[in-house]
Amino acid sequence: MTKDEHKAGIGGMANPTRYGIERVAYWLMRLTGLGLLAYFVAHIYETSNILRGQVGWDEFLALTQTTEGHIFLALVIAMCVFHTVNGVRVMLGHGGIGVGTPARPDYPYDPASQNYRHKIGIYSAILLAAIATMYGLAVMFGE
Amino acid sequence: MRESTIMKIHYGTALAAVALVAVHILMRLTQGFADSLEYESVIANYKFVPYAIMLELILILLSVHGFNGLRVILLELKQGQIYEKAVSYGCLAAMIGLIAYGSRTIIMTNMGMV
Repeated sequence: MTKDEHKAGIGGMANPTRYGIERVAYWLMRLTGLGLLAYFVAHIYETSNILRGQVGWDEFLALTQTTEGHIFLALVIAMCVFHTVNGVRVMLGHGGIGVGTPARPDYPYDPASQNYRHKIGIYSAILLAAIATMYGLAVMFGE
Repeated sequence: MRESTIMKIHYGTALAAVALVAVHILMRLTQGFADSLEYESVIANYKFVPYAIMLELILILLSVHGFNGLRVILLELKQGQIYEKAVSYGCLAAMIGLIAYGSRTIIMTNMGMV
């Protein structure tokens, strides 16, 4: 393998446009995972304000119960639903479910695992995330 | 620990967390989102022992899953004996720290030390 074959480097690996929806799902899974971990740590800190008594709790709640806070929470809902549904798809794939049966590799060598079942799974994760986000926005802004 | 065992733990914590977080979110919706966040309501939640146990379980499950996920992402980016050990032990320390901090809130509120 020549050096030229590596010239795209990390940028080539990160490029979501060349390898279809599976690469987009790969990146979304990692980005939503990091986002949810950051939110989880912040949520643990946020809830610890209950130890400051009613005044401390109400002060901190006032910071989060704003339009910006609700939009941020809607984004968290989207990340959570996508990460969950796509995570189930990945688990099923690791367990050999929905990845197709072994077959002779013929041109153009399409991987059997990257089939319509998993593509439907990825699109379903995106769609469900959008629906859950809209429901979350309706609940938060509907009050 | 073998990576295959760690991945089984990763998937197990994910599935368990999905079920418990669903209950946690539904509790917010039973009495209206804003009302459920009122001080008295939150204190009542923490003082209800089964709910406090569920919060503790969610804390442990999500900490294990989240920090192992971070470890996996960091190990994908770079490899090396020292780097891998630093990432693994760093994530383990962060996980223990977060569980300890969250448990402190749950235990102190449940015992009325507010």
